[in-house]
Amino acid sequence: MRVLVVEDEPDLLRSLTQALQEEGYAVDGAADGETGLFNAQNYDYDAVVLDVMLPKVDGWEILRRLRKTKKTPVLMLTARDQPKDRVRGLDTGADDYVVKPFDLAELFARLRALIRRSAGRTSNVLAVGDVVIDTGARQISRGGQAVALTAREYALVEFLALHQGRVVTRTTLYEHLFDENESTLSNLLDVHVSNIRKKLGAEFITTRRGHGYCVGGAE
Amino acid sequence: MIFQSIRWRLQVWYGLVFLALLSGFGVTAYALLRDVQLRHLDGEFQRRIGPLSNSLRPPPGGPRPFFPFFPNQFTNSPGPPPDGLRPDGFRMGRGARRGDQGDQGERGGRGGRGDDLPDGGSPEERGFPRPDGPGFQFRLPSEQAALFGSESNSFYYVVWGPGGQELARSEAAPRDVPRPASAGAAAGPPEPRMRGVLREMYHATPGGGVVLVGRSIAEELAGLRRLAWKLAVAGGVVLLLGSTGGWWVATRAIRPIEDISATAVKIAAGDLSQRISAADTDNELGRLAAVLNSTFARLEAAFAQQQQFTSDAAHELRTPVTVMLAQTQTALTRERGAAEYRATVEACQRAAQRMRKLMESLLELARLDAGQETLLRMPFDLSKTVGDCVDLVAPLAEARGLKIHCAVPSLPCVGDPERMGRVVTNLLDNAIEYNQESGEVRIAGERQGGTVILSVSNSGPGIAAEDLPRIFERFYRTDKARSGSGGHTGLGLAISKAIVEGHGGSLEAASQPGRGATFTVRLPGEG
Repeated sequence: MRVLVVEDEPDLLRSLTQALQEEGYAVDGAADGETGLFNAQNYDYDAVVLDVMLPKVDGWEILRRLRKTKKTPVLMLTARDQPKDRVRGLDTGADDYVVKPFDLAELFARLRALIRRSAGRTSNVLAVGDVVIDTGARQISRGGQAVALTAREYALVEFLALHQGRVVTRTTLYEHLFDENESTLSNLLDVHVSNIRKKLGAEFITTRRGHGYCVGGAE
Repeated sequence: MIFQSIRWRLQVWYGLVFLALLSGFGVTAYALLRDVQLRHLDGEFQRRIGPLSNSLRPPPGGPRPFFPFFPNQFTNSPGPPPDGLRPDGFRMGRGARRGDQGDQGERGGRGGRGDDLPDGGSPEERGFPRPDGPGFQFRLPSEQAALFGSESNSFYYVVWGPGGQELARSEAAPRDVPRPASAGAAAGPPEPRMRGVLREMYHATPGGGVVLVGRSIAEELAGLRRLAWKLAVAGGVVLLLGSTGGWWVATRAIRPIEDISATAVKIAAGDLSQRISAADTDNELGRLAAVLNSTFARLEAAFAQQQQFTSDAAHELRTPVTVMLAQTQTALTRERGAAEYRATVEACQRAAQRMRKLMESLLELARLDAGQETLLRMPFDLSKTVGDCVDLVAPLAEARGLKIHCAVPSLPCVGDPERMGRVVTNLLDNAIEYNQESGEVRIAGERQGGTVILSVSNSGPGIAAEDLPRIFERFYRTDKARSGSGGHTGLGLAISKAIVEGHGGSLEAASQPGRGATFTVRLPGEG
């Protein structure tokens, strides 16, 4: 999962980025509205965490312009908790709303729900064959037995499971699993896939040569 | 409860006043009409009583019969008296009556002339019964006697001799006519009296006799009673109509007050956007409504400003709290290295410092607002303060490659040097913050008359025209990003302005976009 955080307070941006990375997200940070809008328009993020008060271009404006081209789920962060502000945010196209100060746990839960909904899922628990993925607890079990995965491996499995039945291209995977600062080696993905096959069974991930990867029954 | 209502009170007072006016009018009209009727009757009586008096003759050798009270009737003056004055001094009514009176007077005059004839004059006089008084004779000429009929409502007369014995009475006279007690020794003008429905007039003749003329005025009294009833009914109808009209007028007059009160109630309940709908603004209530509306508008604006300020202040506090929460919650998710903990603690410290700064600013503003902040009033040299402040910000300017030009002569003034130092520091901070790379900051000072002028200008991008009038507003930032870049609270200029104004001075900003901004402080100088 790749997330964009647009926040002008440096300390907050830093801790949000770190916390999200530790949750297994690939995180891009933007400290002002212009950069944020550029990133949001040019990458396919799984979600955008957007502060309302920003230098140069404010959150409302980013949201308005972004909605012209992208359906990326947007979670607004704001210090304004007046109902009219929330209504305005939701009506402009925000998918959710978190008022500062917030608890990180709540922010993450809302973010997970946002991503889940945008993938068309309603439950935290995804099942692919005998593999069960609990996105809330970030745990994977196979045949009732918990399987230990690295954060990156988990993210890869979760992303594929969210889009199960569909072929996910390598480019998409790179875009959603690595942030802009990571120098992505072309075979890094193959290493992760091979490790996952060792832990969850070789048949868990199917390779469609020339297209990408797929989990679950492909149509 | 009902009398708590102005409308009801108005109505009651209105009704009472109306009732009093109507009753006064009715009673007066009734009394006047009654008076006119009685006077008319009395006139009739007087016309009859004169001849009667003259018909009562004292014994021969006694005083000559005379009747000084009816001179007109007994002199031969032709026609009515001058001025139309009736003999009893009352102005006569209509012409018809005057003619009538004149006619009667003519007849009375004739009667009087007849009376004036010497004894044994006309033959009819002998036909009268001779009253058995001590020498008193009562002889009424027949033409006069004809004036007293026999019906129950015709005029009657009774004549008493000096001893109280009845000398004569007409046919219609009631049985029991008492001799008027007051008609005593002295002969006076005829006096009227009422006995039940009987109106009588008596007169003591100079010889000691008494003549009385009367008539039952039951009919007239009944007429007057009918009149009184009509007046009462008409008055009642008028009162009812008037009260209805009064109620309508009161309701109309009260309606704007009710509007005002209803609006005020809504405003008291917290809806400050309510206004009184004043249709006609030209009367007193319309003007009151306009005054109230403008008061409400100012209240609403003040409230909105206060609300904005509070919400801005809360917002400014939210950001550092959010930082602290995010930092600590992230740090606590797992074991960290010392460097990471250190970074977290430092971030928390920055956030806490920011909150402290904000709280201090808010408190200072609140005290300045309330006038509680007592500013020192001591003589000091503003140029020295400026020098200290320049030293303070010099490293900051150097770090940004800015040059500070300070050319300030000695500026003696009276005030609070520490507070003024804060103002100057704040202006310098802004001049450095909103400057361009390798720009400059100029500080100039001069004395103009009794005023000390200090200006701080920079070579930055300047302030946009739409921002210029608002930069002294609390939490107003030309850059819409609220959360603090460079640790500014957004209150610096507001506090500076409050401090300078607390010194009796002024702080103004001028700017041309692209050509920097200049802040000018004016302070009253020393002495």
